Amino acid sequence: MSMFNAKFYDFMVHLPDEMDSIISLVSAAKEFGYSGIAALNLKKNRTDMNQLPKDFSIYNAIEVSGKPSKLRDEIRKYKDTGEILIARGRNEEVARAAVETERLDIILQPVKFNNVLGKIASDNSIALGFNIGSIIHTRGEERVRELRIMRANLMYARKYDLQMVLTCEPCSIYDFRSPREMAALGSLFGMSLKEAVDGMSTVPLDIIRKKSTGHIQEGVEII
Amino acid sequence: MKTLPVLREKKRYIAFKIISENTINRRELTEELFDSMYSLFGDKGTSEINPALMSYDGGFGVLRCQKDRTSDTRAALACINRVGGDSISIRVLGISGTVKGAMEKLIQQSIIKETEPGKD
Repeated sequence: MSMFNAKFYDFMVHLPDEMDSIISLVSAAKEFGYSGIAALNLKKNRTDMNQLPKDFSIYNAIEVSGKPSKLRDEIRKYKDTGEILIARGRNEEVARAAVETERLDIILQPVKFNNVLGKIASDNSIALGFNIGSIIHTRGEERVRELRIMRANLMYARKYDLQMVLTCEPCSIYDFRSPREMAALGSLFGMSLKEAVDGMSTVPLDIIRKKSTGHIQEGVEII
Repeated sequence: MKTLPVLREKKRYIAFKIISENTINRRELTEELFDSMYSLFGDKGTSEINPALMSYDGGFGVLRCQKDRTSDTRAALACINRVGGDSISIRVLGISGTVKGAMEKLIQQSIIKETEPGKD
């Protein structure tokens, strides 16, 4: 059985405001082989969400950002809401604050990841995100830098057994890439096919399971 | 003179579909395709991939590459996001060993699926 028969998810989709655009984005995602997405700016209590296909799941994700102190507060604020929490590792300070705060789900493309951050992320079960969209939308020197960052991050993820998540950060229907293309782009910085497939199917499903209300945390025993 | 069969390089044909608002012409697509390959793999890598646009009708196309470089070709196709001023994305329909297979099995089936969405 082919590896690509699994259910695939993209966890960092920027949804447009209009319903028509949302429907076309969702149908594009389905056409590209995704079973679900996590939307960053999904408005709660939307009444028109039932227009979307029933066999496609949309989860809520929140991008936490700002200074380290604000970032910690935001993660604590949203930790029990069941939403997927994503932090962008713009610099070492922010990345450190993000990985040190428990209950964060994904640290996306940290710029200066190191062994210390790797160890902490591993202890707090935080997945390492790879933004494949940055390879697609940049050229030349900038793309070289992004590839180098991803290569280093992959090395730490393997060393500290971190879960990996792949996203192409789509904003429109033209930004989606199918899972096979994502795996091919992942191979540019040394990611194996299995790691790429897991990063789009197994790991996102695991994060969804962790966020569900019935999940029992690691280390807790029911007597 | 023909190449000896044992020395002939094995090729693969990638069938793809263009998703774009406006129609992209063949020259624009070829330029963007090669530009993407040069940018990702350089002159040496592109020569090893040996790409050629075999067929293109404005919506669907077939791209030739070396047998062992299909993943790289997919990556180069995925990196194309803009042609001229228009945003585009390329969806790979499948890979075949012959041009005929790519045209008949992959492209025609995709067109049939689009026209009859209920039937799989």
